[in-house]
Amino acid sequence: MDSLLGVDVGGTFTDFLLWQDGQFRAHKRPSTPDDPSRAVLEGIDALEVAPDLIIHGSTVATNAVLTRRGARTALVTTAGMRDLLVIGRQNREDIYDLEPETPEPLVPEELRFELSAALDHHGAVDRPFDPAQARHLLEAARAGGAEALAVSLLYAYANPELEKAFAEVATEFEAEDGLYLSVSSRVSPEYREVERTATTVLNAYVGPVMARYIQRLSDGLEERGCGPLRIVQSDGGSADARRAAQLPVATLLSGPSAGVAGAFEISRSASFDRIITFDMGGTSTDVALCDGAIPTRPDVVVAGFPARTPVVDVHTVGAGGGSIARLDAGGALRVGPQSAGADPGPASYGRGEDFTVTDAQVVLGRLAGGGLLDGSMTLDVDRAHAAGAPLIEAFGTIEAAAQAVVSVAVANMEAALRVVSVQRGHDPREFTLVAFGGAGPLHACALADALEMPRVLVPLLPGVLAAQGAVWSDVTGTRSRSVLTAFEEPTFPALTAALHAVGEEVRAEPGLDAAELHYGFDMRYTGQSYELTIDADPADPGSSGAAFHALHEQRFAHSDLDAAVEVVNVRATAVVAGAGEPARPTFAETEAIPEVTPVWFDGQQHDTPNLRREQLRPGARLDGPAVIHQLDTTTLVEPGWTATADDDGNLVLERAR
Amino acid sequence: MTSDAIQPPEALSAADLAIADAVLTSIAEEMGEALGRTAYSPNIKERRDFSCGVFDAEGQMVAQAAHMPVHLGAMPAAVRAVMELAPFEAGDVLAVNDPFRGGTHLPDITTVSPVFIGAEPIGFAATRAHHADIGGMAPGSMPVARELLQEGIVIPPIRLVDGGTRNESAFALIVRNSRAPEERRGDLRAQLAATAVGARRLEAAADRFTLPGLLERFAALLDHGERVVRSVIAGIPDGAYRFEDHMEVGPDGLAIRVDLEVDGDEAHFDFSASDPETEVASVNAVATVTRSACYYTIRCLAGPDAPRNEGCYRPIRFTLPERSVVAAGPPRAVSAGNVETSQRITDVALGALAQAVPDRIPAASSGTMNNITIGGYDSARQRPYAYYETIAGGAGGGPNRVGRSGVHTHMTNTMNTPVEALPLAYPFTVERYELRRGTGGAGEHPGGDGVVREYHFHDLATVSIVSERRQFAPWPLNGGAPGTRGRNTLIRADGTTEDLGPRAEVDVGPGDRVRVETPGGGGWGRSRIEE
Repeated sequence: MDSLLGVDVGGTFTDFLLWQDGQFRAHKRPSTPDDPSRAVLEGIDALEVAPDLIIHGSTVATNAVLTRRGARTALVTTAGMRDLLVIGRQNREDIYDLEPETPEPLVPEELRFELSAALDHHGAVDRPFDPAQARHLLEAARAGGAEALAVSLLYAYANPELEKAFAEVATEFEAEDGLYLSVSSRVSPEYREVERTATTVLNAYVGPVMARYIQRLSDGLEERGCGPLRIVQSDGGSADARRAAQLPVATLLSGPSAGVAGAFEISRSASFDRIITFDMGGTSTDVALCDGAIPTRPDVVVAGFPARTPVVDVHTVGAGGGSIARLDAGGALRVGPQSAGADPGPASYGRGEDFTVTDAQVVLGRLAGGGLLDGSMTLDVDRAHAAGAPLIEAFGTIEAAAQAVVSVAVANMEAALRVVSVQRGHDPREFTLVAFGGAGPLHACALADALEMPRVLVPLLPGVLAAQGAVWSDVTGTRSRSVLTAFEEPTFPALTAALHAVGEEVRAEPGLDAAELHYGFDMRYTGQSYELTIDADPADPGSSGAAFHALHEQRFAHSDLDAAVEVVNVRATAVVAGAGEPARPTFAETEAIPEVTPVWFDGQQHDTPNLRREQLRPGARLDGPAVIHQLDTTTLVEPGWTATADDDGNLVLERAR
Repeated sequence: MTSDAIQPPEALSAADLAIADAVLTSIAEEMGEALGRTAYSPNIKERRDFSCGVFDAEGQMVAQAAHMPVHLGAMPAAVRAVMELAPFEAGDVLAVNDPFRGGTHLPDITTVSPVFIGAEPIGFAATRAHHADIGGMAPGSMPVARELLQEGIVIPPIRLVDGGTRNESAFALIVRNSRAPEERRGDLRAQLAATAVGARRLEAAADRFTLPGLLERFAALLDHGERVVRSVIAGIPDGAYRFEDHMEVGPDGLAIRVDLEVDGDEAHFDFSASDPETEVASVNAVATVTRSACYYTIRCLAGPDAPRNEGCYRPIRFTLPERSVVAAGPPRAVSAGNVETSQRITDVALGALAQAVPDRIPAASSGTMNNITIGGYDSARQRPYAYYETIAGGAGGGPNRVGRSGVHTHMTNTMNTPVEALPLAYPFTVERYELRRGTGGAGEHPGGDGVVREYHFHDLATVSIVSERRQFAPWPLNGGAPGTRGRNTLIRADGTTEDLGPRAEVDVGPGDRVRVETPGGGGWGRSRIEE
């Protein structure tokens, strides 16, 4: 393969990373939210290539859910169960909100249908299927304007027969009307009806949108003579575009997962495989802890709906550079949760009125330099000072106020990092902080100090990390199925057969026929209601027992070798190794003399060199304080820290001894 | 070149306060994670029916994780109750569940660790968790009882761990008095682990801020909480507001009446006009439950700025008549006081506040947790079992939006059990689980609908239901219509039906059904008449 293109579509920018003949090129251009494929195709034109393979991280599915612009979706359930998704788990998000908002349902009242055919809890048919009733429901769905239809019957995980019968009748409608069909025993054949139904409905809701998008993009790529398209999935791998169109629910967390995957690959090639990723943007911050591997989990909550699909385990907090600072009624300095967002943005961007974390950094002299985005965006320092004026009374000077705002923001980030580390039994002092996103490298030293982390790594191209992760991604696909079987000698043959069955299922999917298979059991002590995923070997299913007890001990501090164990789900993940490999960057030959500006640290002004990132060739080393500017981020090397550029162009920041 | 240093502001800045609040709150959250992670029972591990907090040396709560509202005012009372066991030494862990000495109801067990720097305790770390069975006359320890001892084992303040050595006799005694001793042992051990995490992290905080610095922050945070809540109360117009509502005991009900007086930046909840405690059913609330419910209403008005510390409660005073339904004494039974009466006290407090700040208070929500316990002998699995759950209802419509349907409100927020999970463990199924359409009160902003949950039994069983709002409907506001009352119906295999009323204990057999229909929320404002 000669050329490979990673593309990541974000809310503001679409990022490109082209790997061609052992070299790579980055490109960044504004996104086109009305039709994200336009920016992708324009970028390919600007790069003047026809790549052999395009791997694409997309927020199309997520945005369709968040903005409720998915397909008009109908739902068919067992009688008595049509409101499952409205009731959900019956709890509310904020316990102190007297008027909790009613989220707009994915399926409108008039499109919730009940089928009289039913299974009992063993999976036996209790009330038989009536094709005439199915046709009647489908006609009612069509009359109601449904573009997509989800079917989720109670106990269908134990027997897909009724759903299959319904799907057969529906296939005619699928062919005639283009009705997008999503069936629970195909999409998510796991027990627990709310999660299975939510997954099936989400898949239906985003299906037509995603299918149209992939079609549009594929047509454009074909016109340009480009190779095939793959879509990044929530587990950090990518999938054949056909699979993504059939199972779009697996792409809901495409963006953050590719970022973590990119950060992990870069760090691993720099010999750090125990990292905490810190992706701080304008309105939110994503953190993930990778202890030698990219962490995944089998479920995710999207816009309040619990979906069963493998995702990279990312913890997100609603705080970033745009978080607004203010004094509360009791005189404490609060930073967030209100945010200036992208519009109007921080005061220094020229339109906002509120004092944000970014404005505080501007006041401290850490961002002013040549502005942002290579000087194409200037910063209004006076406006930042004016926005912060109301805080002067509490802090004496604007600089003291700005320092206080940054300290509180860092304390909030510290709490987020504790969630993924200390609260899960990891010591952050053993990990490297990998900082990216527009605001990550600016706050990384302070955050590492707060958690006593020894090292910060800032990748060469922190702004296109998700595109880089896409280039390197493996092709993956996972299938799982509830078996609810006792884990004991007599059932091992059945478990082996179940593993092979899901393995064959996943290999039958587009692009995965030659994949390597990894098997797993979701196991628990009988009577528990939560599971742990353990690697499984079809040739020796009993070997998972010891691993289960050990992981239970590590995770929950107790285990019981004598207690009965059961297998809830079997799963198979197909993996085809990605084609990409890290390429050495090229570095500018010029060495400019850094500009020196005053920057505030700990209440004092320090003369601080401002450098361009391109000026730091491999092996370059400098002592803090220093500010390093590049296209899409700013790195702050605080006093007491040193920065070294490694062979791949990463900046490695360490505390000076 | 270095310019002049910025003059530091007063000793503790506005930023120091926010940082200290973040650090201490994260200690409470880490305790909660440790407890949830290592607990055995689903009720603690998954429904997360617990709370954790950090306290100063006087037993004042300086931080709490966002857990259960009903524990808000109760945690400090428990910590102060165990302080009578002083002097302490490092490694002590105290425990208590006595509702009349800092507890709420018997299933809630509190563990407290004094934290030492040097010879004197500098503070306490405490956890409170709801144990699924603590003995008594019925599985689940939430019976319809006449006196406390019928509800389970009573633990007065004791040293469960003495200077690092576990008191095995006390441990064995508590564990043996539960129907699920292994689960109790595991859950108690998880509580001990969580208090130990809190103690260690509090020591680290003393290291980070220095000991005087930490103590200064404790005091400053409490003062800050007080200032926030004073400003909230100052925003409520001065005046005297009265409201009353009833528990469904006897034909006329048991009255809960509040006279709320708002004067400047202070509030006084006076329950003097409430009815006396009762021997019928366990609906008596202890004083800490009543305080928690009232704190909750003020906290809702304060928004996210209010820290979770006891300073917030300083501007709030109470008059609670002894031996009343809102301040019961021994030997009364109290288990439903925590789950049902707490909801009514919340309604009464909100009803009074609605007169003061009508643009901020919604109509009454379903006002009951719809507690159902199913137990007996499972002949297919050859084992005894007990299962407990609560069922959501409709939220009241409010000045700003419609009430949400099928959601837990006010003093509870626990999750449901999947319908498909039930027959895997118990001899019954749920055959209907849907919204009860049209049960939210009409109005400009209608109340949310309640739900229907219908159980189908495949074996002999005993069913206990503890619910309310079967007689007195959730009230509307500003011209809306009340929510529809709930109903509990027994449907025998032969088709005969029986209305079970708000509280019932019935024996059922194969083919029988119990249908629980939960109340809708009250409506807010007059409906717009469509021409």
